[in-house]
Amino acid sequence: MSKIFALAGVVIRELYRRKDFYVLFVLTALLTLAAGAVNFFHDDKIVRYVKDICLLLIWVSALVIAIVTTARQIPAEREARTIFPLLAKPVSRAQVIAGKFLGCWLASGVALVVFYFFFAVITGSKEHLWPWAVYLEAGWMQWAMLAIVIAMVLLGSIYFAAPSSTSTISLIVVVGILLLGTHLKVIALQQPEPLQSILTAAYFFMPHLEWYDLRDFVVYDMGRVPVRAVALATVYAAVWTWIFLLLAWLGFRRKNLTT
Amino acid sequence: MTAILQTQKLRVEYRSRELRQAGKVALRGLDLEVHAGEVFGFLGPNGAGKTTTMNVLLGFVPPTSGAASLFGIDVRQPIARQRIGYLPELTYYYKFLTAEELLRFYAKIFGLARAETDRRIASLLKLVELESAAKRPIRSYSKGMQQRVGLAQSLINNPDLLILDEPTSGLDPLGRMKVREIIQRLKEQGKTVFFSSHELGEVETICDRVAIVHQGELKAVGTVAGISAGHANLEQAFLKLVGFQPNPAS
Amino acid sequence: MKVSPLSTLAVLLAVAFTLATSLALPAENWSGRAKSDNLFGMLFGDGRKLFANHFFTMADVYFHSGYYPSVFDQNAVAEKEIISTSHGKKESEEDEKNEDFLGRAKDWIDAFGRNFRITRHTHLEGHNEREILPWLRLAADLDPQKIETYTVGAFFLREHLDRPDQAEAFLREGLRNNPDSAEILFEIGRVYRESYHDLDRARNVWQLGIKKFLARPTDQQREDKLVLEELTVNLGRLEDEAGNYGPAIDWFERAQKVSPTPYALQDQIDTLRKKLNAAVPLTPSKLY
Repeated sequence: MSKIFALAGVVIRELYRRKDFYVLFVLTALLTLAAGAVNFFHDDKIVRYVKDICLLLIWVSALVIAIVTTARQIPAEREARTIFPLLAKPVSRAQVIAGKFLGCWLASGVALVVFYFFFAVITGSKEHLWPWAVYLEAGWMQWAMLAIVIAMVLLGSIYFAAPSSTSTISLIVVVGILLLGTHLKVIALQQPEPLQSILTAAYFFMPHLEWYDLRDFVVYDMGRVPVRAVALATVYAAVWTWIFLLLAWLGFRRKNLTT
Repeated sequence: MTAILQTQKLRVEYRSRELRQAGKVALRGLDLEVHAGEVFGFLGPNGAGKTTTMNVLLGFVPPTSGAASLFGIDVRQPIARQRIGYLPELTYYYKFLTAEELLRFYAKIFGLARAETDRRIASLLKLVELESAAKRPIRSYSKGMQQRVGLAQSLINNPDLLILDEPTSGLDPLGRMKVREIIQRLKEQGKTVFFSSHELGEVETICDRVAIVHQGELKAVGTVAGISAGHANLEQAFLKLVGFQPNPAS
Repeated sequence: MKVSPLSTLAVLLAVAFTLATSLALPAENWSGRAKSDNLFGMLFGDGRKLFANHFFTMADVYFHSGYYPSVFDQNAVAEKEIISTSHGKKESEEDEKNEDFLGRAKDWIDAFGRNFRITRHTHLEGHNEREILPWLRLAADLDPQKIETYTVGAFFLREHLDRPDQAEAFLREGLRNNPDSAEILFEIGRVYRESYHDLDRARNVWQLGIKKFLARPTDQQREDKLVLEELTVNLGRLEDEAGNYGPAIDWFERAQKVSPTPYALQDQIDTLRKKLNAAVPLTPSKLY
């Protein structure tokens, strides 16, 4: 396990030494502050749109950080050939996959903590409310979803050599699931066969990332989701993460890295 | 003597991506044994199969058939690499890390204790003369400094077997001398060194035994004196073994 | 021939300057964007109206605290209701709250997924209605010709948030952008009558509204006749309140011609006639 944590540590170090995270955080902060500074009808108690905009930016930033960071891990190791001195050590390819996953996931978690803290400060200063439990739940669910996304991107990065291809395809898939996940069955029912069966199968076989989006609960002050539902969703995320990591390992374990 | 590096009928065939095109055979049943405490030179012209052999030994490439082991453990097991150090031909390290961070990272991979790690990092940085640059990112290093970091990382676990891929290539004469000194010192400490090289003069100076490989086949193995017997020097023997026909005019 | 890079640069700058001076005038006719008086107009051109509709819908989503049908919800089309001035009326609110566009869960995924969606139909209340205002403001900026934005925004500002001054200002802005809008004039009249109790100004504004309405083409009048009904009915009520029963009867009778439920107005006319008989009559012509 210490090897996996060592590998994860390098990924985290890389993230905070690159500018991606800082740029996205500053952008989120600036846009949120700019939105919050607008005065609508001389009413300074209006706050939900600021929460909405800030959370949207947090979601976009977290997805970009997670996808872009993960997509470049294995290809960058191969391109810079750092994978060779690494694999020449007593470390298995499964541990490399696990370490990369853990590093990207923890790095995303750190980013989320920073982003949500900023969110809490901004909304708290306007609303004078600090529903930490709601934020914690929303943040946890988002982090659980990022685990699936990171594992999926890691799988993609084994097969697509260019990080840009992996990032673009992953982003399209993730946004597609987030927007259409709930409605895919309804869409399927309106299609002729065999498309109907294909879409219905996809509906049951895809990871339902849309469950992990609790922004509405935060923005509209609708309280918390039942703990049992959160726990089950966490298990569901863990299962999908394992599926993707297993597939990534199957692709990576026999891969000839010298070509 | 104990063979700590061994290959038996090692064959590696790269599949062609083109349909109906035969794969490329990189190794054709290579049998090799390196014994504990010796400095072993692995020679061959470009494309002979030296790097492929090293790639198999380090687990980068799976063999098509045959076997390879380190310390009697199949090279496919990561634990086989617990007691080895590897220095690649070119420097391939995380450039955003400092030399100290890189060494600490590899020490963690080997599962070294913190105190032991600190001690080894200090002594290795001293050995490769990078103490003053230890906290600078590797990206700011010169080529020679990067090669020295590489050498330090290959020694972090105090390995019993050191695998060096063209360790002096691209180094200036001073750098080469330094590497030779280190190899000599390791030999004195009873370590085993397995290295590939084009520098036959260098091989003659420091190797106990050498193997010459050509077109994926082992052409000769033995002491430098044994292989050179009947020839002016090792270079002449090498050229003959790889089938080089010198131009009579030259 | 050797050409200095500096002289090349100077020539290129001179050509660019000359072209700019000669192309500036014709370029103004290529697109209306540059002439737009707001940033959104410059950025998006006419495409901004699409965004305006989205933001107007966002106001509705906020009003329902996220409980809102998506384009994929099959039953949504019939039930989807854009926020309107009907909100705030107790009966219509209760009816709407009983609507359930989600229906029964289709499968376990849908059922489980509902844990993470807003599934309660609620409306903002207790001054939280203010939260819809930013989206209406944006919708108005993006499409200043969308009259509903002003009327809905003014309704909430006046009726739910006790901000008639802001409601009037928003409506005045709408009127500047849509000088012939009878709908906006009607809402301005409501501000005067219901918030400021200034019957004279309300009367003037509503009468102007009727004038503007009657200036519309006949087929459009037929389409928008509810506006006329609202104007005439409210003028009738205003005159009733002012004690001008004769003119009030006149307005209600005009309203009957366009109302889908003329019989409902007959009761009010009958009541007014009784009041008129008991009072000193006034000449309607003096009033307008």
